[in-house]
Amino acid sequence: MKLKLTVEKKLLIYKILLFIFAFFIAFMPTTAMRSKEVNSRVIVEILGIDCGEKVSLTAQYVMPTESQGTTSKDTVTVESGSLTEAVEMLNTALGRRAELGHCSMVVIGSDVKPEILGSLMTVTDVTADVYVSAAKDKAEDFVSDITEFMKKTGATDADFIAYGAKRAHVATNTLLGFLSDLGSASESTFIPVVEMIEEQPDGGSGGDSDGSSGEESGGGKSGESGSGGDSKQIGMKVERLALYGKDGRRGILERDSARGVAWVSSPIEKGTITADIEFNGKTIEGLSGRLIKKHSSVKTSGRGKATVKVKAYIEPTGDKFNEIGAANSLKATAALKNGFAEKIESEIDRAFFDALSLGCDPLFIGRQFYRYDPDYFESTFDLNNVSVNYDIEIVIK
Amino acid sequence: MIKQAEQTNIAAEPVARSESIQDAGTTNTGEQKQATGKQLVAIIFILSLATKMFLLPIFLIQSTGRDAYIIVSVFCAFDLITLAITLVTMRLANVDFFELITSVTGKVGAKIIVSVIGIFLFFKLNISVAEILAFYGTNVFTDFDTSLMVIVLLVFLAAAGTHTLRALCRLNELLVPLIVLCLFILVSIVVMTGFDLANIFPAVRDPGDFSDGLVHYGSWIGDFTPLVLFIGRTKTKKRTGIFAVASGTIGSAVAVFFALVLSAAFGNVPSLVDSTTNLSNILQFTVGNMYGRLDMFSSILWSVSVFIEAALFFYSTCRCISFVIGKNTHVIISLCTSVAVYAVQVFALIDPTIFSTVVTSLACSVTVPIITLAIPVLALICALISRKRQRLLK
Repeated sequence: MKLKLTVEKKLLIYKILLFIFAFFIAFMPTTAMRSKEVNSRVIVEILGIDCGEKVSLTAQYVMPTESQGTTSKDTVTVESGSLTEAVEMLNTALGRRAELGHCSMVVIGSDVKPEILGSLMTVTDVTADVYVSAAKDKAEDFVSDITEFMKKTGATDADFIAYGAKRAHVATNTLLGFLSDLGSASESTFIPVVEMIEEQPDGGSGGDSDGSSGEESGGGKSGESGSGGDSKQIGMKVERLALYGKDGRRGILERDSARGVAWVSSPIEKGTITADIEFNGKTIEGLSGRLIKKHSSVKTSGRGKATVKVKAYIEPTGDKFNEIGAANSLKATAALKNGFAEKIESEIDRAFFDALSLGCDPLFIGRQFYRYDPDYFESTFDLNNVSVNYDIEIVIK
Repeated sequence: MIKQAEQTNIAAEPVARSESIQDAGTTNTGEQKQATGKQLVAIIFILSLATKMFLLPIFLIQSTGRDAYIIVSVFCAFDLITLAITLVTMRLANVDFFELITSVTGKVGAKIIVSVIGIFLFFKLNISVAEILAFYGTNVFTDFDTSLMVIVLLVFLAAAGTHTLRALCRLNELLVPLIVLCLFILVSIVVMTGFDLANIFPAVRDPGDFSDGLVHYGSWIGDFTPLVLFIGRTKTKKRTGIFAVASGTIGSAVAVFFALVLSAAFGNVPSLVDSTTNLSNILQFTVGNMYGRLDMFSSILWSVSVFIEAALFFYSTCRCISFVIGKNTHVIISLCTSVAVYAVQVFALIDPTIFSTVVTSLACSVTVPIITLAIPVLALICALISRKRQRLLK
């Protein structure tokens, strides 16, 4: 018996066959070649770059092995005259193709020139979205330390560094963001400085080796990475910000200034804010709140005048909040808003002036003038002569 | 209703005749081979955005920086004008494009004109194929040899060349909802993550670079040219024209929006953009790993739309050759066209520098817009003359 199909049934069969074909095309090559690919590649998770006379690349890599689900994490450092050669040497050093497309963080040393990051983006597989961080001195030291720390804690994903920076209310930046900021009219950019917190062998009394912060952070005192042979890494510190100009690193912003940049120039999540509140003639110190979300912008009004606007949604926390009864008192709420607004303003103001002293513009005020009044920018603009006002709005949640 | 049905029958009869010129040798009847108004709208949407979202914004950013999106807008506006002329011709003409110009210019004249159109379509076909190879060669199948990859593509194109316009329209109809969904996801990600679109300012700071971009990238104009084959072969309804224009406008707006996002992302660093850069990279840069590789998945699916455009250019080229040589051996014509495309892609355009030098040459960039405009205008003039003759005969 001859089977005669209607046009509709033929169409349905064609559609099904088309989807099967699409599915086959999409998944078959990777499925068929997976084992071969895994065994011929090594995945680089963190890449450290140092520049001296030569370009030095330090890769934290994960080596997949034959046995199911097992990997080994380690570091390797290569040196060469150029970045391209260094990447090739990385392949040779590891005996497999170093897969840079999965790299989730690039750490740069203090002597790295920004143009090398442009080469990193265009001649290697490193993606535009990769987070960029600064090591205080040598990236090689930091990558080695963080690898040991990750092995010890079992952390598998280097994204936790960027996550930590966002939670710590520190501005983060990506590779394309870094290069784009430098290429903008402001000609400056920022990246967080990542450091290891070290426990000293004499019972955890290690201090902040550079002596700059002096504030307690996280779960211990901070110390300089690699400063002592007997010290042990017990955590990570991300609270300072390295500022860059086209010529390289200009300096480092300390904690309060770094927070000021984060209010304006970077997406941050769930940070905390602590402020002193004036209420009923008393000063209540250390009233804290949790940032829920924020909107920020820089507006230029006329020539030489800029306004930094921040709208922050803050949820007050702790017993001191209950003490002033802000939940039931408009006056207390207003005092709370004032306190938080003053704190935010002071942090942004400090960021602006500290950066200005380093010849940087991490709030991108210059860029804003260039966007909306390019003739003024190109003729007479000088960041030193700009009058910056602040418009901080606090919404208590 | 009755009047409308009568109109449809009147339209179907000459189309059936015209099919003998364009699609003879196939098993379908003339009535079955017509495209519907819906299919026309879907095809217009795909044509309006497909190739304008691949290499064009990248080349433009490299040469003009943050103003690339303005040039894409100008090109889209130009194409929309040609679309409007084609749609008006569709309303006026009862017969297909080839029959229309034969009736006005004579057989020899028509063959000369169609030869020029065929060469033009072949050129546009090669641009689409080169873009597909560049995108997939650098983003998806990096280890896959281009000379082999092009064979896989040409098998699909050859299959499209041997089928009817209706088959192509049906394939497009099947893919359009998926492509629209993916575009919606991509646009949503851009909007939700608060991309810094203000980086497109200030506009046109360097008029020299801007006019260079405007003059040298005209080869990307002309995406709606294959629509002339729909003249006299589409069941149009009263509002088909409005929907078709709306579809073209929305598609062009999407293309301009994505060009705008790329311009904003690379406006400060135009030297960093290359053929490996696509919207997916930019979204990943904006959103981080929040959505996994949803953006990549969407981008790949969306990129399928360019296959439809290439297939339509291939189909149109084959039909022009078929008309010029006066034979309907579609299989042989498709195979020969595939071999020609293979030769061009593998031997002439394999070096990306040659490709960019050719397509951005002043000769190509000036000729393409002229022919793009000339084809629908010619069709419109022929339709008006034909209409006037019919009236005089009555």
